[in-house]
Amino acid sequence: MPGTLWKEFSKGLWKELPPFRLVLGLCPVLAVTKSASTGLGMGMAVIFVLALSNMIISLVRNMIPQKVRIACFIVISASLVVAVELLMQAYAYPLYQSLGIFVPLIVVNCIILGRAEAFAGKNPVLPSLADGLGMGLGYTLSLTFLGAVRELFGAGTLFGAPVMPSAFEPFAFMVEAPGAFVCLGLILASMNYLNAHMARRRGEEEPENPRSGCMACGACSRANSPAQQ
Amino acid sequence: MVTVSILVLFTLGFVAAALLGISSKILAVEEDPRVEAVVEVLPGANCGGCGFAGCENYAQAVVSDPDVPAGLCVAGGEETSIKVGNLTGKIVAAMEPQISFRRCEKIEGKVAVRFEYQGMPSCAAAALLGSGQGTDQCAYSCLGHGDCIKVCPFDALYLRNGLVRVDPSRCTGCGVCTRACPRNILEVIPRRARVMVCCSTCDKGKKVMEICEAGCIQCLKCKRKCPAGAVSVVDGHVHIDQQLCLGYGEECGMACAEACDRRILRRLVSTPDADGDRFTAPHPPAIPVNAASTEPQA
Amino acid sequence: MDIFQLFISAIFVNNIVLAQYLGNCPYLGCSKERGVAFGMGSAVVFVTIMATLFTWLIQTFVLIPFGIEYLQTLAFILVIAALVQFVEMFLKKLIPPLYKSLGIFLPLITTNCCVLGIALLVQRKQYSLGTSLAYALASTLGFMLALLLMSGIRERLDTCRVPKALKGTPIALIMAGLMSLAFMAFRGMAA
Repeated sequence: MPGTLWKEFSKGLWKELPPFRLVLGLCPVLAVTKSASTGLGMGMAVIFVLALSNMIISLVRNMIPQKVRIACFIVISASLVVAVELLMQAYAYPLYQSLGIFVPLIVVNCIILGRAEAFAGKNPVLPSLADGLGMGLGYTLSLTFLGAVRELFGAGTLFGAPVMPSAFEPFAFMVEAPGAFVCLGLILASMNYLNAHMARRRGEEEPENPRSGCMACGACSRANSPAQQ
Repeated sequence: MVTVSILVLFTLGFVAAALLGISSKILAVEEDPRVEAVVEVLPGANCGGCGFAGCENYAQAVVSDPDVPAGLCVAGGEETSIKVGNLTGKIVAAMEPQISFRRCEKIEGKVAVRFEYQGMPSCAAAALLGSGQGTDQCAYSCLGHGDCIKVCPFDALYLRNGLVRVDPSRCTGCGVCTRACPRNILEVIPRRARVMVCCSTCDKGKKVMEICEAGCIQCLKCKRKCPAGAVSVVDGHVHIDQQLCLGYGEECGMACAEACDRRILRRLVSTPDADGDRFTAPHPPAIPVNAASTEPQA
Repeated sequence: MDIFQLFISAIFVNNIVLAQYLGNCPYLGCSKERGVAFGMGSAVVFVTIMATLFTWLIQTFVLIPFGIEYLQTLAFILVIAALVQFVEMFLKKLIPPLYKSLGIFLPLITTNCCVLGIALLVQRKQYSLGTSLAYALASTLGFMLALLLMSGIRERLDTCRVPKALKGTPIALIMAGLMSLAFMAFRGMAA
């Protein structure tokens, strides 16, 4: 049992790393990664919501009628998000301010619904919790990493501490919206390259690049229709 | 405060639920449940092989229009047609399983390229070059950029050694690829077909002799030898009417393939060769169809 | 604020996708063909305006009088989810042609951060009802513009040779970055 739990947990860290491998929940990934610390804070909020929503959904999964399950999932995650909002307002107000509208928007982050639909709705409590924690941690690490890269080149600092030599001229591009897009694109590309390289090394066939966006999330019927592939 | 929030949210949820409940009654659309059942049965590839704009359109037509037959889904084959027939109460004629076939052997024929092509990977684009003659010496060759592969809803086509190959375990004969090919090289034929023309050139014999060793020079020996009258020249190239051919049966001993000195007409076998080309057997030694035990090509 | 300025600002300067990072999933997911992009875009325009209207009413006449603004997120998502369901049924019954073209996108919209995002943004900016609706219209038009431009680019991109590792999402993101760079140039137009 611990073995399978570990497997559910660890798949979120590389194999199904949410924003980079599954390409889910991109809006906050782009928006809150101006610096490593905001990325980390957002990630923490997502861990909290994702782990708890996975747990609650898996607890009540047999009580929810199939037809209204998406609505139920949304209500559960929305309640958790409200809780996170209140917690942040109480204990981390500056962070809450800098994340702005993206805290309430965790509700509609496809990663929450996607995991609920793809995993928590079908599995018992402990694996669901492990899945939520793993995915959340993977999400946090990715956000922090992207935030760190952008902060490093965009401001020459890391978690607010200056690390670049004084001659370094920060590229304003990196902290602006275009920098976010390009940076994420390059990270995705290098992940693809790395995966293909590793697969070749193991002598396997090269994997396909992951497909993008909501098609991968599985929460909606369109993801399963072959016409869209 | 807590009571108020609970009350407000409860009311909000209740109002929304009630509204949805009521409107789902009022706004309910009476859909023929058979349409949904037919959609379930269909493969859902929306290939358009049936002549309708998609599986759902066909399902609607087959349920509501008595003149639309139940056996139009080529992709689903006989099994699907029978199910559709059962759902709609229509009688299904026996379906012939079909498969796509590439009428070009330019690699074997050593067709030279006219110029190196570096443009976008699309047959349609490559075919337009050189005042419409394309990038190969032959204007009727498979260009191998895979326009057909891109459109195939069943992933049944793939590229090997510069030619498009058909995976018979996946091909359903829906015919989407035949419409995508700018040169009309792919043709949908019955899976039972015994012999096929492996070239679709309309060029004169002299020119074909110069550019391709596996090109049809239209000597029409095959036409003269065929007792069923199944071989004819259609649209400028030799064509086999598979219905006539299969209808005649095997008594002819594949006179057409025997008569063809250039091995353009070939017997079809069911085992794959080294390139994964499952359908063209070499001319000598002739291998009878469905002789699964014999190895067709080294 | 001048309505014209609001429109220019919401469509170009503060484009919802390219400058405010909202609605990126459909922006990347539904931009492979122009037809799909147009359908998705118009569905978003339609639903967002409806949602903004209803959430504005709920906020002003229910949440604020009772002093429970902290339930905003929960109440809004509830309204939006119900609204999307309702619109789907409504269109199916009364305007079938519109349902045919928008129908498949509607379930997707509940989880589109554009809709909830705009509903929340107009509250944070404390717009009046009219301005809110205008802002919703302008922002979603901006979304549609970005989506259509992207789908055009991606249709072209299909015929190009892209390095293997960049195929799919990475190149789309880089294109989005370049587009956003272009849109940044509008910044001088409105403060």
